[in-house]
Amino acid sequence: MGKFITRRLAHAVLVIVAATFLIYLGLFAIGDPFASSGEKTVPPEIQEALREKFGMDQPFFVQYLTYLQNMFTFDFGVDFEQRRDVADMLANAVPATARLALFAIAIEIIIGLTAGIIAAVSQYTFRDVLITVITTLGIGIPVFVVGIGLRAGLSGEWIFPAVPRSFTIEVPWYQEVILPAITLAIIDAAFIARLMRGSMLEVMRADYVRTARAKGLSERKVIGKHALRNSIIPVVTYTGVSLGVLLGGALITETIFEYQGVGYLLVRAISQQNAPVIVPIVVFAVLTFVALSTLVDILYAYLDPRIRLH
Amino acid sequence: MSRTKSVLLRAAAGLAAASLVLSACSQQSNTGTDEDSGGGDNKPSSGYPEVENTDISEGKPGGTFRLGIVEPVAIDPYNAQESEGILVAAYLFTGLTHTTPDGETEPAVAESWESNEDCSEWTFNLKTGTKFHDGEEVTSASFKRGWERVVAKASASDVAYHFDQIEGYEELNGGTANALSGVDASDPAVLKVKLAKPSCEFYIRTAHTAFSPMPKAAGAAQNQKFNDQPIGNGPFMMDGPWQHDAGIKLKRFDDYGAADKAYLDAVEITILVGDETAQQKELDGLNNGQFDWARIPPNQLKTTREKYEAQDGWISKKTFGIDFLLVAATKAPMDDVKARKAVSMAIDRDAIINGVFDGSRAPATSFVPGGFKDAYQPDVCDACKYDPEKAKQLAKEAGLTEGTELNFQFNTGGGHEEWTAAVKQQLEKNLGLKVNYSGVEFSDMLENQQQPNSTGIYRLSWGADYATPGNFLQPLFSTEAIGTDDPNAPALGDNRGRYSNPEFDDLVDEATATKDEAERTDLYRQAEKIAIGDDLANIPMFERQQFRAFDSKKWANAGFMDFHENPPLNLIYQK
Repeated sequence: MGKFITRRLAHAVLVIVAATFLIYLGLFAIGDPFASSGEKTVPPEIQEALREKFGMDQPFFVQYLTYLQNMFTFDFGVDFEQRRDVADMLANAVPATARLALFAIAIEIIIGLTAGIIAAVSQYTFRDVLITVITTLGIGIPVFVVGIGLRAGLSGEWIFPAVPRSFTIEVPWYQEVILPAITLAIIDAAFIARLMRGSMLEVMRADYVRTARAKGLSERKVIGKHALRNSIIPVVTYTGVSLGVLLGGALITETIFEYQGVGYLLVRAISQQNAPVIVPIVVFAVLTFVALSTLVDILYAYLDPRIRLH
Repeated sequence: MSRTKSVLLRAAAGLAAASLVLSACSQQSNTGTDEDSGGGDNKPSSGYPEVENTDISEGKPGGTFRLGIVEPVAIDPYNAQESEGILVAAYLFTGLTHTTPDGETEPAVAESWESNEDCSEWTFNLKTGTKFHDGEEVTSASFKRGWERVVAKASASDVAYHFDQIEGYEELNGGTANALSGVDASDPAVLKVKLAKPSCEFYIRTAHTAFSPMPKAAGAAQNQKFNDQPIGNGPFMMDGPWQHDAGIKLKRFDDYGAADKAYLDAVEITILVGDETAQQKELDGLNNGQFDWARIPPNQLKTTREKYEAQDGWISKKTFGIDFLLVAATKAPMDDVKARKAVSMAIDRDAIINGVFDGSRAPATSFVPGGFKDAYQPDVCDACKYDPEKAKQLAKEAGLTEGTELNFQFNTGGGHEEWTAAVKQQLEKNLGLKVNYSGVEFSDMLENQQQPNSTGIYRLSWGADYATPGNFLQPLFSTEAIGTDDPNAPALGDNRGRYSNPEFDDLVDEATATKDEAERTDLYRQAEKIAIGDDLANIPMFERQQFRAFDSKKWANAGFMDFHENPPLNLIYQK
């Protein structure tokens, strides 16, 4: 197990170094962010002062190594546009995105697992067919349709805050998070339900389940203790990956609801070509993704003894 | 991926609209020539009429005015640059002078000013006893402090170049000095400024927010706390720090001394995100009572105008900007003035305005825009009238024949696809030119314009930095503004068409050296006659016209825009 973890961590470091280098190269080294881009020419002395301020008068490798070094102390510099501390911007956005991701995952696990188990247990009944139809719809609808629909129908109603928000009206975080979380959860919940149904049906046909039944265990124990534990593995993988993606920022959903998370920050940074903001967000997304897939691998080992033995 | 796709889609939409315009213009061309042959001035058949209410009445304190803007780059004058940042900075700070909505320069903290004979030394006499929001007194040293804070090399300010006429600018901006040697604040009530490049219009520049005074609390420019909650000397003060991506709250400054106090208790500025959807959100907000003032998305001008004009809540005004076609004036085929006039006369601006813009723009018939009441010469561009017959004749004389190639480039993503496509089709139809039409990123278009082998025409627009007609002439048409003497080097200035006419240069130089305003304006008019009337160095297309709607049931003195196209927050009061 220890060796397994060490190897995974070594992979992770490699991925991070490669990712930062490529992203940095792409964003900083290609194109001059301070060249004139509006109707008026930026005078050369102003361009020069800007390059010097942002350290971009240095050779590329000096820039990159300085950047890497600063990054390890969580110093991401200041952004090109408003010259705010990028670390501060991230410190505001990351917790918001984490809340959204966890909320969405919780919703999709509860709904998805329940629906999947019900469908599998009552295979080919009306309940099963109904769930299959609904989940097919759920998977088929693009996330922006769900998001825009919910926003148009519910923003400003009941406990949901209006979008765009009037900034003087304070809204508790759980109200803010609920609509985007539902938007994100709908598609994944449908997917999890189908995944769960399929894998549960497969497991229920397995020999050891028949053995358990033959031993005279109650149906509840057969499903709850023996079948569930094994059939949940694909769901764990999927949820882990999904969490990794969500923590990197749900670009579309956050933008639709103007939710102040990492995804929304990234969308705006890209439109401004604001490299100092883009780089750490993408690196952060890579980092969480790598960390979570490592975690999922370890969880596998816990859930399935056969993996542990390898 | 999605970007290329959307560009393609837009280009396709542009072509579709262009064919609409084309059919519209073929119908109109007959009536157009008929009227011309009948002689006399025909009224422009397009453009929304100007509507504003500049009557100022006295009100009483109270009320919270609410509006939406997109997130500014900065509200601290050291780097405030676009309309949104300047909206906040201009009401947090009051400079030496102030620009009225009509482009007049009037006293603000400076009671009066004068210059020596050659306009190289300026003396501003300040009102004494006016205060910053923290109680500190505003003196000449406050201005020196503010100006040096912008120009200092470490500030790397995007707006530092506004100070480039002042003695010591290069040293401070280059990092070899730590003060502006040309600014003397030894007498707290008098600010003396020496100019390395003399200009009789220097006082006009000082209305720009970059020239704001700064209290001692400001410190160096990069100071997050102050940048987000600047302490100024204006009619409003910050009520808490700027909440990024959320909003900005201002409250009235009751010790304001530079002019009359504001009536409004507070201003609530909600920050809307997404440049392209912001206007829609502003209008939605006005319609549902969330905002008191809004810009209008182009596709809703008609319905919004109908609704708000009936209740006196509609503003429509030509302001200080122009859309034009930049011409590479030293390279064939556009090096001949007849070719330039032929191209201009082959464009039916009215048909484009009606076909693409729903009649909501004004055709440009001059380069200095209508915002400048005295300098405006509405018919200085006689080649801006649509006349396909005359255009053909001029084209023939200039050697433009069937199939002559003309490069025409525009920048994608700025909403210029449709009208430029219409221009292309009109040039092909009316002159038989082979137009090499292409859309590229703005920065690429800029680079292409700079190249010594640049030819043809480009779409461009221009807005005023300062309220002087010279700001529309000198940077775009003077030899100095080409930025190089070498025809084989890139043109790094704003005159990328490389037009050069010593007569024009002399008139503009004479104007900046003329103290009398009326005389100066007259010189600018003569200069425009040469660059546009005679030489047509660039081709005017549309005058900048702005539209706003506001809640007139609730607010008085809100029927016009300030110089920066924002609501006059210092005058508005609740009915």
